[in-house]
Amino acid sequence: MAAMRNRLSFALPLTLAVASLFIFLPFGSSAEFSFRSYSQDGKLMHSLAPYRWIVEQPEFLSHLLLSFKIALFAVIFTAILVVPSVAWLHLKAQLFRPLVELITLLPLVIPVVALSIGVQTAFPDWLQSTEYELPLMYVVLALPFTFRILDNGLQAIPLKTISEAARGLGASWIATIFYVIAPVMRRAVAGAFFLTFALSLGEFTLTSLLHWDTFPTWVTSVSQQNIIGAIALSVFSLTFAFLVVFFASLSSSRSKKRMDATE
Amino acid sequence: MTNSYVSSKGVSRKGGTFARRNLIIAAPLLPLLAYLGFFFFWPMFAVVVDSLKNNDHQWSFINFTTIAQKPYSTAFQNSILLGALSALFASIPGAIFAYIIEVRGSERLKGFVTSLSGVLANTGGVPLAFMFIATFGAQGSAIKILKALGVDLYSGGFTLFSFSGIVFVYLYFQIPLMVIIFSPALHSIRSEWRDAAKNLGATPKKFWTTVGIPLLFPSFAASFLLLFASGFAAYATARAMTVGNIALVPLVIGTLVDGNVQVDQANVGKSLAVGMVLISALAMIPYLIIQRRARRWQQ
Repeated sequence: MAAMRNRLSFALPLTLAVASLFIFLPFGSSAEFSFRSYSQDGKLMHSLAPYRWIVEQPEFLSHLLLSFKIALFAVIFTAILVVPSVAWLHLKAQLFRPLVELITLLPLVIPVVALSIGVQTAFPDWLQSTEYELPLMYVVLALPFTFRILDNGLQAIPLKTISEAARGLGASWIATIFYVIAPVMRRAVAGAFFLTFALSLGEFTLTSLLHWDTFPTWVTSVSQQNIIGAIALSVFSLTFAFLVVFFASLSSSRSKKRMDATE
Repeated sequence: MTNSYVSSKGVSRKGGTFARRNLIIAAPLLPLLAYLGFFFFWPMFAVVVDSLKNNDHQWSFINFTTIAQKPYSTAFQNSILLGALSALFASIPGAIFAYIIEVRGSERLKGFVTSLSGVLANTGGVPLAFMFIATFGAQGSAIKILKALGVDLYSGGFTLFSFSGIVFVYLYFQIPLMVIIFSPALHSIRSEWRDAAKNLGATPKKFWTTVGIPLLFPSFAASFLLLFASGFAAYATARAMTVGNIALVPLVIGTLVDGNVQVDQANVGKSLAVGMVLISALAMIPYLIIQRRARRWQQ
């Protein structure tokens, strides 16, 4: 195996080079495209004009804020509904875990397009006329992933044993939840929240088929009148997503280091 | 799981107590189940019921005989082909990439690759479409650079808005998706197994043909099926590129929902949705079963 490893020593740099090209070719090209504008006599030049155009659109900020608001509500609904249920499964209801696991995986089997038609067919008008319909549905779309993240996170923790220990030492249930269960679940819960938030910010299929206008659907409608604007918006949103991931991974590796140091 | 519970509590023989205990245990799970019932099972049930009704609200198979004919059958063929081809072209490079990162990469690099793949696979849909127009569209930067170098792709009949163009764009979220779902399987090939095979005199080739590939193949097949379902059902990228010239099932459903097209039967869109669910289930159910079995030795 050592010989094979030596033979493969060029593999990592080569792979990283190919992968960088794979990512940066469209990204770099789009960045170049997004600064394009045309002068009075029709000559191509580069300027900040497309980005100025974006900021001048009143819809830009309103759609961005709407998307953030909807994503925040999806996180809150996940916190109220999914987190306590998974904790309860591990604490007392191990018997039902296989069943709940199966049911929560089903949204992965159903294409979102098909679910959207169902929502349009089945839901009453009052529900279809409020934008809170979207976060309520995003919770369902995220559920296969959030359940998996929380379940995997809790599998590594003997939640039942430590909460029984806390109870045995005289802690009330409320104290147990706040001082024992909540702190050990923090990491898994943060992962589930992050995923719900990211999925909600980028969701397009259900949103557009239910005729709502959030940030991603607005970008698509912009493209019909201003393709450079749509490309600039795409560069903006992917850069934003990369930065969030970058800082999230930085802070998580830092907190991991801190945990390792205290152990 | 049931057995261990029953024996540890020892209440199973008193039937009534056991049932009541279970009910109390299940009660806190009811909100989640009721939520899924309302926001997931009910809409899907409504689609299936409506797909089996004709314009006069009578039970009928007419919608399904309609979608078995052109143009709908063509849309199914295109979508299945798109799912299969994008899965094929994404799964192999994705698996090789994941393997090299797993074997050679540092922990930090692995974490970074996972996060990056997550962004591209999950949030990429709409932005990716426009980025490809900026890169490989007729006015795209890459196309212009190639033209300056004397290569005119567009004179060769290339266009991003063709079937092969869509397959190409889909690779940009399919390959990262492959990296995300295949990496855990690679992670579980323990270095002890390699060392054991080596100590027993196996060459690297022997290790791969008798240990590595047989162990990884189920996970690879499962990942392929998931990629197929993902490519088959994807809507955002195709919609954002407005590829009206290629019939894909999700796009056809989209136009029916928007009411841009008048069809003879009001419920054709719903039968198309049921058709999508069936094909998707054919791929996803084996995926979930294989994943479940593979997880036994992956832990």
